[in-house]
Amino acid sequence: MTAIPWTRKHIISLEDFTIDEYNAVLTTTSSFKNVLQSRTKKVPALQGQVVANMFFEPSTRTRSSFELAAKRLSADILNFAPSSSSLTKGETILDTAKTYLAMGTNIMVIRHSHSGVPLNIALEMDKLKSGVSILNAGDGLHQHPSQGLLDLFTICSLLDEKNPQISLLKGKKIAIVGDILHSRVARSNINCLLAGGAQLHLAAPPTLLPYLFSETINHTYKDRLFLHWQLPPALENADFVMTLRLQKERMTDYLLPSLREYHQLFGITYDRLQLCQPNVKVLHPGPVNRGVEISSDLMDDPRFSLISDQVTNGVAVRMALLYLIGNSK
Amino acid sequence: MKNRQLFQQVRILDPVSAIDQVSDILLEQGVITDIRDSIIPDDEQIEVIDGNNLILAPGLVDLYSSSGQPGYEERETLKSLAEASQAGGFTRVAILPNTNPVIDNPSLVTWIKQTTALSKTKFYIWGSLTQNLEGVTIAELANLAESGVIGFTDNRPHSNLQLIRKLLEYAQPFNLPVALVPINLQLRGNGVVRESNISIRLGLMGYPEIAETIAIASILEIVSLTKTPVHLMRISTARGVELIKQAKENHLPITASVNWHHLLLNTEIVASYNPNLRFEPPLATEIDRLALIKGIKNNVIDAIAVDHTPYTYEEKTVAFAQAPTGAIGLELVLPLLWENLVVTGELSPLELWRSLSVNPLKCLKKESITLQKGKPAELTLFSPQQTWQVTPSQLKSLSSNTYWLDKQLKGKIIAFPQ
Repeated sequence: MTAIPWTRKHIISLEDFTIDEYNAVLTTTSSFKNVLQSRTKKVPALQGQVVANMFFEPSTRTRSSFELAAKRLSADILNFAPSSSSLTKGETILDTAKTYLAMGTNIMVIRHSHSGVPLNIALEMDKLKSGVSILNAGDGLHQHPSQGLLDLFTICSLLDEKNPQISLLKGKKIAIVGDILHSRVARSNINCLLAGGAQLHLAAPPTLLPYLFSETINHTYKDRLFLHWQLPPALENADFVMTLRLQKERMTDYLLPSLREYHQLFGITYDRLQLCQPNVKVLHPGPVNRGVEISSDLMDDPRFSLISDQVTNGVAVRMALLYLIGNSK
Repeated sequence: MKNRQLFQQVRILDPVSAIDQVSDILLEQGVITDIRDSIIPDDEQIEVIDGNNLILAPGLVDLYSSSGQPGYEERETLKSLAEASQAGGFTRVAILPNTNPVIDNPSLVTWIKQTTALSKTKFYIWGSLTQNLEGVTIAELANLAESGVIGFTDNRPHSNLQLIRKLLEYAQPFNLPVALVPINLQLRGNGVVRESNISIRLGLMGYPEIAETIAIASILEIVSLTKTPVHLMRISTARGVELIKQAKENHLPITASVNWHHLLLNTEIVASYNPNLRFEPPLATEIDRLALIKGIKNNVIDAIAVDHTPYTYEEKTVAFAQAPTGAIGLELVLPLLWENLVVTGELSPLELWRSLSVNPLKCLKKESITLQKGKPAELTLFSPQQTWQVTPSQLKSLSSNTYWLDKQLKGKIIAFPQ
């Protein structure tokens, strides 16, 4: 494995990622993807290091993906499950982190249902001069960097399998459709896709896509971010369409009248894809509400759907992230 | 202890007489007996204090703060609250009724009065407006008034406008201040940080400006009907300041206050997700912050409230959105406001003192503290240059839930026998 200079100790958000960092992740992921396709599927890159999977919010997919990634790197894994934890016994989240620190953890992979907890823990670990790295595995509505990066890798490696670079996004039209307001995935994707030079079109009803989104980004990207309260202009000639999971409780928050009307207006179907480029691809971070965000048959159609590639690439991307922060200078 | 003290060449601030000058001032047995350019000590029994680089001014008065006692003694006791007040230059503190049990009955008022009777800090007590602060049944306001509460507040928003109207009607004969929290709970929803590009970026639920302004507008309409004097607590928006300005121009009996944090910090600082930066209402935009300072300057916002809200480490060491709202402040307010608003010229020293002493008393319908010959010496001595570090052991408060924990501050209250 070629050494790529990497200095970032914690991966909390993609907001301040540099082009060099994106490319380091893409290149490293490519190498690990080759490892995963080889016969042994395992490298000793993190041998002797301890990775703690601290999922304060229940998750099966992301946790399994991180667990497998750490195992493929030969790290030792600690799994933390909130139901059996001491959080119910009066311990604070920082106490839990300190306990794992005392056990010799090198990397903490943290998911929490509230925004900011991975940063809170990272700041505490730095204050203790612990040397521990924090990898945000999704916090509240804030960020989900590993998902953003695996989406980025999935797109870039489709555009150039041998040499996936973020600059391949330049000029590509990408639509993100769905509950953007409540999506940490969308926030991470907005950061990385705009950084790569894509024309980014967001589409959702106004209740799920406040105009304030246009004010959250680096102003140099402003002419490449478009907000739509209708689907067709977002899909027109799109190269990629990313759909997002819609939580069913949105109806009770006065955000939507029904899943039916939502699907009628914003569901991705074969018909709707006619507006896009002929070789358009569809992504979804999962888990999918079949027939809501995306029609069931389309989801399973390998001509259009990249959903299973996303899951496969997820392991390689997470190996790359663990490897990079595990060896950061 | 000598019972005569002479401060030589001390900077005297007195908003009542609009004085900001260096003088000598003589105190005898707790009374100001002389103020002149130069006073020569006439006998050995006078304790002479060099006032160089010091400020002597009326004691600060806190309009509302939370006591942990009774019920939450691990956060703060009445004793520690008194010590924190003194360490912060506050000679009087009005405590809110959100104790456990709630201050909604005369026996608790009497108990607090007895417990604090010997304290150097004068405690005022807010009685609740509704029983157990539930916003359902009116508390026995006549009995509470009789027992000596300073005024009435539930220290929380009410969604029922009919309740607000009836409270204001029922409370009128007692001629005591009624303080309301202008927040519309439906519009607030689950909001924890001011709705803006920051709330979107941080992935925290937005708390819209209209949650405050619509509540203010509703309350002002009710006040124009009932004519009951009302104090509006914790104003945080520029539009709110504007609505209050209009109401005052129309001679509505309204006073208003701001939590001091809103004068120093804006919503951008929440990017650290520090739970000590969670407030109700939340920190606002820079435009709001500047409008609030201007509101203090123009007397539209009458008072700066400390709104000292102690919580234990365990209670505050949670995710930002889960954290209880509020922070401590009694020992921090004066140094921080002096350094960040007075030194920078945004407020004059007299404007700051007016909003921290004269006006809180006006809101409470009490006489001002003033530095004049013949008046009681209820004073605060402040050294703007002295630096200190905010640590749990430095603080007299039992809690240290503040953004400024571990930070270095400039400006400290100097204790002297009074």
